[in-house]
Amino acid sequence: MATSAPMLKKLSALPMCQGLSAAQTAELVEIAEETTAKKGATLFAEESAGDALYVVLEGQVEVSKRGASLAKLGEGSVLGEMSLLGGEMRSATVTALSECKLLRISTERFQKRLAADNLAALKVTHNLAQVMSRRLAVINDKLVESLGKTKKKEELADFGRILNNWSF
Amino acid sequence: MNTAEATQHYFTKAARIMNVGERIENLLSAPLREVKVQLAIELDNGEVRTFTGFRVQHDNSRGPMKGGLRYHPEVNGEEVLGLASLMTWKTAVVNVPFGGAKGGVQVDPTQMSLKELERLTRKFVDQLHDVIGPTRDIPAPDVNTNPQVMAWIMDQYSKYHGHSPAVVTGKPLELYGSRGREAATGRGLLTVCREVLRDVGRPMKGTRFAVQGFGNVGSHAARLLFADGGVIVAVSDVSGGVQNPQGLDLPALFEHVRKTGGVKGFGGGTPCGQEELLTVDCDVLVPAALGGVIDAKVAQSVRAKIVVEGANSPCLPQADEVFEKKGVLVVPDILANAGGVTVSYFEWVQNLQHVSWDEERVNAELEKVMKESYERIGSISRSRQLPLRTAAYVLAIGRVGKATVLRGI
Repeated sequence: MATSAPMLKKLSALPMCQGLSAAQTAELVEIAEETTAKKGATLFAEESAGDALYVVLEGQVEVSKRGASLAKLGEGSVLGEMSLLGGEMRSATVTALSECKLLRISTERFQKRLAADNLAALKVTHNLAQVMSRRLAVINDKLVESLGKTKKKEELADFGRILNNWSF
Repeated sequence: MNTAEATQHYFTKAARIMNVGERIENLLSAPLREVKVQLAIELDNGEVRTFTGFRVQHDNSRGPMKGGLRYHPEVNGEEVLGLASLMTWKTAVVNVPFGGAKGGVQVDPTQMSLKELERLTRKFVDQLHDVIGPTRDIPAPDVNTNPQVMAWIMDQYSKYHGHSPAVVTGKPLELYGSRGREAATGRGLLTVCREVLRDVGRPMKGTRFAVQGFGNVGSHAARLLFADGGVIVAVSDVSGGVQNPQGLDLPALFEHVRKTGGVKGFGGGTPCGQEELLTVDCDVLVPAALGGVIDAKVAQSVRAKIVVEGANSPCLPQADEVFEKKGVLVVPDILANAGGVTVSYFEWVQNLQHVSWDEERVNAELEKVMKESYERIGSISRSRQLPLRTAAYVLAIGRVGKATVLRGI
């Protein structure tokens, strides 16, 4: 798709595009396509194959799991980023709450870039790995807790992790 | 709910959304230090009077603490604490390297001579000089204090610690003050209005504004909005108010205020009361007088589609809820009136470097800061579907929080 300045700005503000130069972000825009979703439409359903990542450009979406609403997200939110790494099943359902404009990056096109040693794609993969590692740390803690082992409290560090997830 | 409780309410609302946990909430909201002093002075008639003063230093994780000093008969410790914490969030929103503080003296300055006010101010510095300073806590003008009071503070502090212009901001231009400081809050508000109007797709030209308060914030805001093509349909101050649906002749109004000392009696419109002003037919309401003036009931009758908080805490939380339901956009105080502290920061920087910026530079840097802050808050608001105020607090908690975590406790 044609690169536009506002689109570049929106993408470069995302944590997954951290450290990408303007030219590299533009390469990402090249393999992206703009798409729309009508109010009430399902973007993807829980446990379906993850074939693309979405960035909400306009509108509001709802994330739900087994019918229970988990979150309402708006402009700038990234959905299904792990599917870029391939082989992931969708862990939740995403429905458009209003008329939405979205940016879609297909796993296939992204993987092709990755296979061609494209630096932008490698950097995005690195950023996604960092997100995953943060999430894994949280899950590990929960696992330890569920095994009945009380973990030493780290409230200040936990707070730091919350702030990282809010990405200021 | 008073204004201190309102600030705590907004902070807590954002902290809960971020899910920071109760103990981190306490860490961020509790003040670092609260000082209460007794100021005994001799009045001109030989009477000895003792006044109570406060300085609350809220947080210094992002830098020296910063906040105004007010002289008012109803100043109390709780109010000062609320305002000190508001300063912590405000300095974080505009990303100037300061923490938050606030001070006040329980006194009615209209009943004091200039000499008595000077003795009172110097006494206040005598009691506090070891906890304030250019790298500790930097006072500034607030309700009923002005550049002259700041000059006395600088002079008295310098007697203890040597030449220290950077101990206080809002000084007279002739004594290390900054160009553009006086109009800074109003000018910052102008930038915010421009950005908001652009976002809602409305031109400044022809947009109708009502401004409550015609002091340090309101008068400059009205003047600059008018010069930018805005139509000022109503203004008011403590003396009274005036409205004209066709737009007030601002230069004539300024001339009237210069001659009579107040807005009341201006011939270019019909009189209107302070509360009436809040509900006049307009597009943008700028409450720039006192805190707590808009409760749920007033909010119901507000006809503006946008409210820009020139004063600190003019809208109470119940009013915020009404506005949210009505679809009225509220630009919160910690962004809308942060132009003052931003230029105070510029003044401090100039003092530390022994330089003096021209007004164009001050205004340009201020505009940049206000635009960037508005943009950051807007993007949090859109991505997380939060009102601007909550988004502003989220941004502030994020910045203060990161500094706190990095330093360690």
